Amino acid sequence: MLIIEYIAPLMKQVILLGTGALTTLRIFFLTLLFSLPLGLLIALARMSPRKWLSAPVKLFILIMRGTPLILQLIFFYFAPAAILPEGLRFTLPRFSAAVLAFSLNYAAYFAEIYRGGIESIPQGQYEAAAVLGFTKSQTFFRIILPQVIKRILPPVSNEVITLVKDSALITVLGISELFRVARNEANRLFSTTPLFIAGLFYLFMNWIVTKVFDAAEKKLSYYR
Amino acid sequence: MEILKVENLYKSFVGTEDVVTGVSFQINEGEVVALIGPSGSGKSTLLRCLTLLETIDQGSIFVAGEPMVTTSPAGVVTYAPDTALRKIRLRIGMVFQNFNLFPHFSVLRNITEAPIRVAGMAPAEAEALAHQLLAKIGLTDKADAYPYQLSGGQCQRVAIARALAMKPDILFFDEPTSALDPELTGEVLKVIRNLAAEQMTMMVVTHEMAFAREVADRVIFMDKGQIVEEGTPETLFGTPTNARTRTFLGNYNLNSGS
Repeated sequence: MLIIEYIAPLMKQVILLGTGALTTLRIFFLTLLFSLPLGLLIALARMSPRKWLSAPVKLFILIMRGTPLILQLIFFYFAPAAILPEGLRFTLPRFSAAVLAFSLNYAAYFAEIYRGGIESIPQGQYEAAAVLGFTKSQTFFRIILPQVIKRILPPVSNEVITLVKDSALITVLGISELFRVARNEANRLFSTTPLFIAGLFYLFMNWIVTKVFDAAEKKLSYYR
Repeated sequence: MEILKVENLYKSFVGTEDVVTGVSFQINEGEVVALIGPSGSGKSTLLRCLTLLETIDQGSIFVAGEPMVTTSPAGVVTYAPDTALRKIRLRIGMVFQNFNLFPHFSVLRNITEAPIRVAGMAPAEAEALAHQLLAKIGLTDKADAYPYQLSGGQCQRVAIARALAMKPDILFFDEPTSALDPELTGEVLKVIRNLAAEQMTMMVVTHEMAFAREVADRVIFMDKGQIVEEGTPETLFGTPTNARTRTFLGNYNLNSGS
């Protein structure tokens, strides 16, 4: 009887936090969906010999990596309504503003990881491909990129793990994600337990992320 | 019939000595030409120009009579249009010093990828061809291996098979055994020797003088970006006329201790 009295409210909390975690997961997957390909485009632009292309992209990367993500969240939510000329002003829905800020921020980090990976591929790979007659896009997508993906898996997994935890920052826009739900519960119950349960949620999600990346690394371990 | 004709080729870079200053020669079908000379004499740069890895500053290159690049009397360098260049590329193969195999492809796929993707060969046909080539280089059992599982000599043999799979009219070798220890050098030279016996047209940049002497129909000696002397192995190694050639070959004999 006593055990049930103890377990039941705990279960209620876990379920409540679970709904918050769903929002966190939505942010997580949408951010990856947009930032992983966008990062590649940014990396290619950053490496372009055309200065008109690489220079603004460099500035973009500097800003996205050089300012706090929490500030960027606030910016994308409030700025369009504040700084645009009258008539063009708008406000994104909170959730969209959060996905936008996260996607651009993570794309900047991924871009630098991609760039490092691409630049680590020996010139000889490009030359062998050129001599065999591969086109530039065949060379990139069939020869270079697969090798890049293998090399960048560890740093990418770092970023993805950070993303799971960074998702807590969107609480600043008043979105009911995992951390906000936990904090509200903590305030309501006057107890830190919900926060620690939230911690276990984050840990569990990142355990899965780690497993996924381990599996990916293993799958690509057939060559060196 | 001439496969390659080079006229008055110039190429220089900022900050490197390995330049080519006015080189002309030609290679006929079935001929094996060894290109020798000290480091920095322009041999590798010349090869990179001939394989379109570098663009030239002046001069003309013809492959099987087709202009790859020409220079007008006024000095304007014009490369063939892209479609023509793509066809010319298919006629030339290249084997690198560091093999440059694709590490993420199996040996078989290293050989079949270009025939399928570039030459449009049917996959089954490309695989049959690859197995033939593997038999030729003595690596039948390595079709499913990955490059990291092979010795340097085996890698270089696969790289040769990969180049041959595109059925080039001429095959260039850039110091194909320089990255190998002497033990592994022999097996690669054997493959090249067999190709020579099959009348494959080849130009080999090499430091293996004994090999050049044995396999080449003609030897070209380059120094400081220019062809100093060329001739049959017998004359060039036996009775070199130029002082620089004599010095180089003399040093070589001393260094190699033979």
